[in-house]
Amino acid sequence: MKIARILGAAVITAGLLLPAVPSFAHHSFAAEFDATNCRDFTGTLTKIDWQNPHGYFYMDVKDANGKVESWSFQTYALITLKRAGIERQLFIDNIGKEVWVRGCLARNGRQNYAASGTLKFSDGILRQVGQLQD
Amino acid sequence: MKVHLRYGFACLAVLTLLYVLSLPAGAQNSESTIKVMPPGGPAPRMADGHPDLSGLWLPNSAGQGVSGRFGVDPLARRQFDPKVTPEEPPSFQPWALAKIKAMTPTELELSKSSVNCMPRGVPAIWLQNPYSTQLVSTPGQLVQLFEVLNNFRVIPTDGRPHTRYPEPLFQGEGVGRWEGDTLVVDGISFDERTYITPNGWFHSDALHVVERYTRPSMNYLIVEITVEDPKVLTKPWKSAPRRWTLTNDHINEFYCTNNHELDELQKLRTQELESKGK
Repeated sequence: MKIARILGAAVITAGLLLPAVPSFAHHSFAAEFDATNCRDFTGTLTKIDWQNPHGYFYMDVKDANGKVESWSFQTYALITLKRAGIERQLFIDNIGKEVWVRGCLARNGRQNYAASGTLKFSDGILRQVGQLQD
Repeated sequence: MKVHLRYGFACLAVLTLLYVLSLPAGAQNSESTIKVMPPGGPAPRMADGHPDLSGLWLPNSAGQGVSGRFGVDPLARRQFDPKVTPEEPPSFQPWALAKIKAMTPTELELSKSSVNCMPRGVPAIWLQNPYSTQLVSTPGQLVQLFEVLNNFRVIPTDGRPHTRYPEPLFQGEGVGRWEGDTLVVDGISFDERTYITPNGWFHSDALHVVERYTRPSMNYLIVEITVEDPKVLTKPWKSAPRRWTLTNDHINEFYCTNNHELDELQKLRTQELESKGK
């Protein structure tokens, strides 16, 4: 209990110290998504939304009871994906196929919405399609 | 004393963990396939003898995209090495620091150009911009085409003075002159809606920005920024010389038309205000 209190106080102190250092991060993942609420999703890719500033892809995911729910996932900016060799066509080619993705849920409680991090299509290659940390 | 020591160690552990988590993925890889781009030969020159700054430039040392890629040498991700060319934090006046610290994380996020899609403006577009910039350099003029949000800028480089009554603009009014092989752009009259860096560093109408551009070799562009803002800062701030590298890629379109992020963060802000009972 004492350790938890000390650690809690340390987290707060660290949080206060960090803003004193100028941060040049693009924008903060942590402000919108909850890095402590991430999970692996496996489902079927149903559609993509390929517009700036971010791409979105949609998956049908089965929950523990077998109920299918549609989820949407945010990606990096499209330019970032393109420069990393991840083209729109790759997503199009995988519509209707199984996809695995690691995602973190929205902090504002929006249902079935997450930031994507790493992703695997049926070719098994691990791709970084979004940031899961600042 | 014991508790203080434990507290100190816990602080250190948390900061270390946050630092490690903040490192780019590539920094934690032992094998890197994307390395620092070599400087290349001498910089080209224009017909008037000044360095030709033309090219498509990326804000890293790799000469290619590094975000979202595995196997990137951490040095290739950087624009400068803080151990070699340290960059001091801005020195804010107390009232300005208090104003920044009063912002909630969501408010801070909503203020960012990368979230609200407002133009970054000068100098942020040179200090915090992960995308490419196309420079078209001709005798007497430098055109800057920014990939992000399709922004552009045309800067006279013939040494002319500022206009008598400049209007506030996101990019300000920039006039350039050559000092040897360095192009110096003097900027005034900036729209007060822009931020210098996306950590709440706002500016006043007294903002004065000096940009220094050099091309020490074919593949490297160095940009150094000085910010003077006597109403907000206690002393001028100077950036490290930041390296941009030449790429053979092309500039992309970037219209911000599908911004879910702004809506989601605004909902979060509303929830925060409601929970505070405001």
